[in-house]
Amino acid sequence: MSDTAATLTQDRQKLEMAALSAPAVIFTVAMIAFPVVYTIWLGFQNFSSTGKQSFAGLANYSKLVSDYEFWHGLWVTIALYVLSLVLQLVFGVWLALVLFHAKRLPGIVRSLFISPFMMPPVVAGMMWLVILDPSLGAANYILQSFGLPPSDWLASPSLVIPTVALIDSWQWTPYVALIVLGGLQSLPPSVYEAAQIDGASPFRTFRRITLPLLLPTIVTAAILRSVDLLRFFDIIYITTQGGPGNASNTLNIYGFRVGFEFFNIGYASALMLTLTAIVFGAVLAFNRLRGAVAW
Amino acid sequence: MTDAATTDRWIRWLNTAQLVLAGVLIMAPTVWMVLSSFKPSFEVTAYPPTLIFSPTLDNYVELTRTTPFLSYALNSLIVTVGSTALGLMFGIPAAFAVSWTRISWPAILTLAARMAPGTLFLLPWYVMFRQVGMIGSYTALILSHAVITLPIVIWVLLPSFDGIPRSVFEAAQVDGCSVTRILWRIALPLVASGVAVSAILAFVFSWNYFLFALVLSNGDTKTLIAAAFNFIGEGSTQWGALMAAATLIALPPLVLAALVQRWLVSGLTLGAVKG
Repeated sequence: MSDTAATLTQDRQKLEMAALSAPAVIFTVAMIAFPVVYTIWLGFQNFSSTGKQSFAGLANYSKLVSDYEFWHGLWVTIALYVLSLVLQLVFGVWLALVLFHAKRLPGIVRSLFISPFMMPPVVAGMMWLVILDPSLGAANYILQSFGLPPSDWLASPSLVIPTVALIDSWQWTPYVALIVLGGLQSLPPSVYEAAQIDGASPFRTFRRITLPLLLPTIVTAAILRSVDLLRFFDIIYITTQGGPGNASNTLNIYGFRVGFEFFNIGYASALMLTLTAIVFGAVLAFNRLRGAVAW
Repeated sequence: MTDAATTDRWIRWLNTAQLVLAGVLIMAPTVWMVLSSFKPSFEVTAYPPTLIFSPTLDNYVELTRTTPFLSYALNSLIVTVGSTALGLMFGIPAAFAVSWTRISWPAILTLAARMAPGTLFLLPWYVMFRQVGMIGSYTALILSHAVITLPIVIWVLLPSFDGIPRSVFEAAQVDGCSVTRILWRIALPLVASGVAVSAILAFVFSWNYFLFALVLSNGDTKTLIAAAFNFIGEGSTQWGALMAAATLIALPPLVLAALVQRWLVSGLTLGAVKG
C-alpha cells in the first residue's frame, strides 16, 4: 500500500519535473530544432529570382564545391580564426599572469578590464572604424609620430584580416584572461612551493608546471572563442561588409549576403549548414584535446 | 640590500608596468570614443588629433535631432526586456528541473543556439515569419532574442541550484510540498543573486545582439544596434555623432556589467570555469 503511494508520488514528481522543463524544451524545439530541419530542407530547394521554389536535389551543394567565393570565404574564415585565436590565447595567458600576480584587484579595475567584451561588438567596430581611418585616424598618427609609415588598415585588402583579428582580440583577450585567471587561482599552491624549493627559475616553473596544469583551462577558452570566431560577423559587417572587394568575406558574411541580399535562400542554407558542421567539428576536436590534456 | 630583495622589487615593478600597459591598451580606444563624442565637430576630424578641447554636447543634440535615436532606444529596450523576461520565465524552471533530476539534455539542447551561426536560424525564421506577416514585429524580435537569453539563464543558474543542499528539498518534500512549490517558495529565494546575475547577463547579450534585428526588424521596430549601421552610412564626416551614438549604445551593458563584475566569469563561461 505504502509502496504504491511512493511510486505514485514519484510518478507525480517526474511529471512535475517534465512540466517545469517543458516550456524551455518546446521553445527550443520550435525556435531551433524545427527551423534547422527546415533549413536542411531549404538546402535542397532552388529559389528563382521571382521567388518561385522548386526541388533542386544536391544542386546547391555541387554549386558550393565549384563556387570560388565559397572556398575564398572558407579561407578567410580559417585565416581570421587561427590568427585571432592565437593572438587571444597568447595575450590572454599573459594578461592572466599579470592579473594573477597583482593579487588584489579593486572592483573598478576589474570592471575596466571586462569592459571591452561587455560592449556590443558593433560598438567596437564603430570606434575602431574611426581610430583606424587611413587619413584622419588616431592610429596612423601614433604610427607616424614613432616614425613608422601609415597603414590603410581596414581599407587594405592584404591587411584587413589581421586588422579585424586585432579588433576582435582587443575585445576578447580580457575574456580569455579572466577564464585563465580562474584556472590559475584554482591551481594548488603546493606545486609552486615545491618548484621554488627546487630552485626552478620563474620561466621554467611556468613552462614545466603552470602551463601544463593550465592547459585544460586554455582549451576551454579556445572552445568558447572558436564558437564565436568561426561565425565571425558583427565587426566585419559594421566595418567592411566583407570588403575591400571580398577580402574579408567570411563564410557567415557570404551566407548572409547570399540569403538576404540576393535572396537565394536555398544556396544560403547549404552554405550555413556547411559552416555549422565546421563549428561543431572544431568543438568536437577541442573536446577531444581537452580529454587528452586533463589531469 | 640582499640580492633576492632587489630581484623581488624588480619583478614587482615589472609586473606593475605590465599591468599599466595592459590597462592602457584596453582602455585607450574606449576613452578615445567617449572623448570624440564630446568634441566640437571641427575638432573630431582634426589632424593631428587633439586631446585638449572644450567639451560640448553638440554631437548628442545632433544625434537626437537628425535620427530617431530615442525611438530606436525604446525598441532596443522593449526587445531586450521582453527577451530577458521570456528567458527567465522558461529558463528558471528548466534549470531547476535539470539540477534536480540530473537529466541534462534540455540544457544541452538550448546550447545549440550558442554554437550554431545565427544565420542558420535566421534563414528559416525569415521564411516562416514572412509567411505569417510577422517580419518587423516586436514578437518576432523578442522570440528570436530569447534564443540568446534562454541558454544564458539556464547555464548561469545551474551551478546555483546545484549548490543548494539536497536535504533542504527533501525536508520540504516530507512536509508535502509539491515540486513547483519547492521551486518558487524555497529554491528561488536561495538563488536570488544567481537570478540577478543571469538576468543582467541575458540583458547585456540580448542588447548587444546584432544579426537577428538586422533582418527581422523594420523602420518602426529597428533596435539601436541594427540602426548603428545607418549612423555609419551618414558619411564619415559625422564622426562626432557616430561616436556619441556608440557611447550611448555601449552605456547600458557597461553599467550593468560593472554591477555584477564579481560574478561574471563563471556566468560567462556557462559554468565551464568556476570563477
